[in-house]
Amino acid sequence: MLTLTDVKKSFGAHEVIKGISFQVEKGESFGLLGPNGAGKSTLISMICGLIPNGAGEIRVNGKLVGKHLKETKQIIGVVPQDIALYPTMSAMDNLMFWGKMYGLSGKKAKARAKEVLNIVGLTERGKDRIETFSGGMKRRINIGAALMHEPQLLIMDEPTVGIDPQSRNHILETVKSLNEQGLTVIYTSHYMEEVEFLCKRIAILDEGKLIVSGTKKDLNNRLAGGIVLKLTVGTLHPSFIEQVKKLNGVEKVIVQTAEELDVHLQSKMEIVADVILLASQSGVVIHNMQLKEANLETLFLQLTGRSLRE
Amino acid sequence: MKKILSICLFEIKRTFKKKSSIVLMLGMPLLFTFLFGSIFGKNADITFRIALVDEEQTAFSKDVIQKLMMDEMISYELVNALEAEELLARNEVQGIVTLEKGIATKLRNEKPPATFQPSLGMSTAPLVIQQVNQAMQAVDIYVAASQVGGFYFNESWESVYGRITENEGRIQAWTEQKTNAPTGHPMMGISYSSAGFSIMFVMIMMLSMTGTLIEARQAGIWSRLFTTPVTRFQVLLGYFLSFLIVGWIQFFLLILLSSTLFDVNWGSPAALLLLVTALLLCVVGLGIAIASLVKTVDQQHAIGTLVIISTCMLGGVYWPISMVPDVMRKIANFVPQTWAMEGLTTLIADSGTIGDIFMPLIVLLGFAVIFLFIGLSRMKYV
Ligand SMILES: Nc1ncnc2c1ncn2[C@@H]1O[C@H](COP(=O)(O)OP(=O)(O)O)[C@@H](O)[C@H]1O
Ligand SMILES: [Mg+2]
Repeated sequence: MLTLTDVKKSFGAHEVIKGISFQVEKGESFGLLGPNGAGKSTLISMICGLIPNGAGEIRVNGKLVGKHLKETKQIIGVVPQDIALYPTMSAMDNLMFWGKMYGLSGKKAKARAKEVLNIVGLTERGKDRIETFSGGMKRRINIGAALMHEPQLLIMDEPTVGIDPQSRNHILETVKSLNEQGLTVIYTSHYMEEVEFLCKRIAILDEGKLIVSGTKKDLNNRLAGGIVLKLTVGTLHPSFIEQVKKLNGVEKVIVQTAEELDVHLQSKMEIVADVILLASQSGVVIHNMQLKEANLETLFLQLTGRSLRE
Repeated sequence: MKKILSICLFEIKRTFKKKSSIVLMLGMPLLFTFLFGSIFGKNADITFRIALVDEEQTAFSKDVIQKLMMDEMISYELVNALEAEELLARNEVQGIVTLEKGIATKLRNEKPPATFQPSLGMSTAPLVIQQVNQAMQAVDIYVAASQVGGFYFNESWESVYGRITENEGRIQAWTEQKTNAPTGHPMMGISYSSAGFSIMFVMIMMLSMTGTLIEARQAGIWSRLFTTPVTRFQVLLGYFLSFLIVGWIQFFLLILLSSTLFDVNWGSPAALLLLVTALLLCVVGLGIAIASLVKTVDQQHAIGTLVIISTCMLGGVYWPISMVPDVMRKIANFVPQTWAMEGLTTLIADSGTIGDIFMPLIVLLGFAVIFLFIGLSRMKYV
């Protein structure tokens, strides 16, 4: 369905995408997780032919993007990060307009717009202007517009930014059911729960590079039993940090603040005792201690030393 | 083709859905035409009456008076000095214009050559003064010629003046040029206002329409458009057509309404259509050019309004260009409205045909090409 081979992109001297390769199979749901500025939107813009890719190759259904723009654009439905709708026009008008841009006839566009309104659960609001909609409803129409021409590949760029939890759940459920009906979905987000919920395969993007990718299972295996020990202490001594790092079974130590320390552990619980012992030996007072199970967020933290949501 | 049409129709629908568009398109120009037209117009209820005293009593002053009498905005009453004072005292006239003895010779050296005595609180005083001066300056050309002639022929200038004005088809031929047109429709104040405000508000309307280019770009709608299988050419042409069509509709409605409400005769429809189209191309081009140079709609609006108002002033949209100094008239040649007004007045007042507005047409199209070139070469799409 979609193949990227060593894709790069620079804006001026700033290399934003630094050689990315991955493949998305038909019917898959593929998650692209990464913090703000990782290059998700840039990557999507290249896939849908909005901007040319600097180096490498992007193929949609085997067709080279850039060479067969008309065909590849027709295959893809893009949900942009911003709500790209006409606020003074009705939901129906908006949907029909985007349908027509994909070559639907007036009659066909009208019929399909009704179906799409049903899919996104806004049938009763079809005649209302977009500007009267809540943020969540706008997002749903924004998605609907990408479904008008019944694309084979739906690419969504952070479609749930800034909306209420209820709308968010509705969107996630909708996308999940669309995927179950056979639509190939690429979903980008910086919320790991969304990607975890929706996607079978996940790639984590950071600073223009794929730092890890695989099925949810692969990624979980990498984390297998991983645990994070969150310590809040009086004062951190550098020597204490060094000694903790040397402990057997400690994967990574991340200093959050002057008093906070995250210790990433393999599943061996006995290390916790060692850490406490070390602390008392080096005169570090522990105020608080928390054990957390690892998830994609901690994986990202492990790999980059930074948090997904900064 | 279908997509171009879809974009075009969608934009038109969007425009007419906004209430502000309707106000801008029709309400404002009609209101302005009515207000301004009735201040300067013949149809007005309020007429200005000015007493005119001729102490000079020469061919020169008679010609000046004749010229003033033809004015539609102000009615002059020829009386003697005593009567004039009485009329003013009884408030039957708003002012007195006295053409003093010897003004013809004074005119060559000093100004003002006429005295003007307005009643208190008369707001149109500057207008009257200007008119009188203009009338005299027009006649003055002949006086100058007569003086030179008199010098060579060794005659008094008055007799030369008398001959010139008699033989040369007389001065009224010059002044009446416009009113002598076959259909006999004088360019009344309201006609002038109609033409002027139609131009101005079509420009403002087009400015607001071309603003959608920026809006669409900012809202990410263009980015989205270019992820669909449409080309830049299709998008631009769709937008462009929608601007043109809305402009046509606006002009058409303004012409229709002003001719039924205010009796304005717009002249030959074919020539008018051509002129309006040339003007619209030019105005849409200007809008696109401004849109391509700024980042936000607010910027475009601020700059656009400034450009439109100032060039409308220069271009004689609010008042006849013949009323401004020479330098300004030269500058005005570089303003599209000057040419649009020239074209429209030719059509309205002189019942001009396509041949008569050839020059304005060409100049307007030239402006259009320049503006579109700037706009399209600088436009950012994504
Ligand atoms: N048109 C552009 N010109 C210059 N830099 C850009 C442009 N678009 C994106 N960038 C830069 O590329 C990087 C990635 O941006 P983006 O793809 O929007 O990230 P994400 O969508 O993951 O938040 C950022 O550093 C951003 O500043
Ligand atoms: Mg983004």
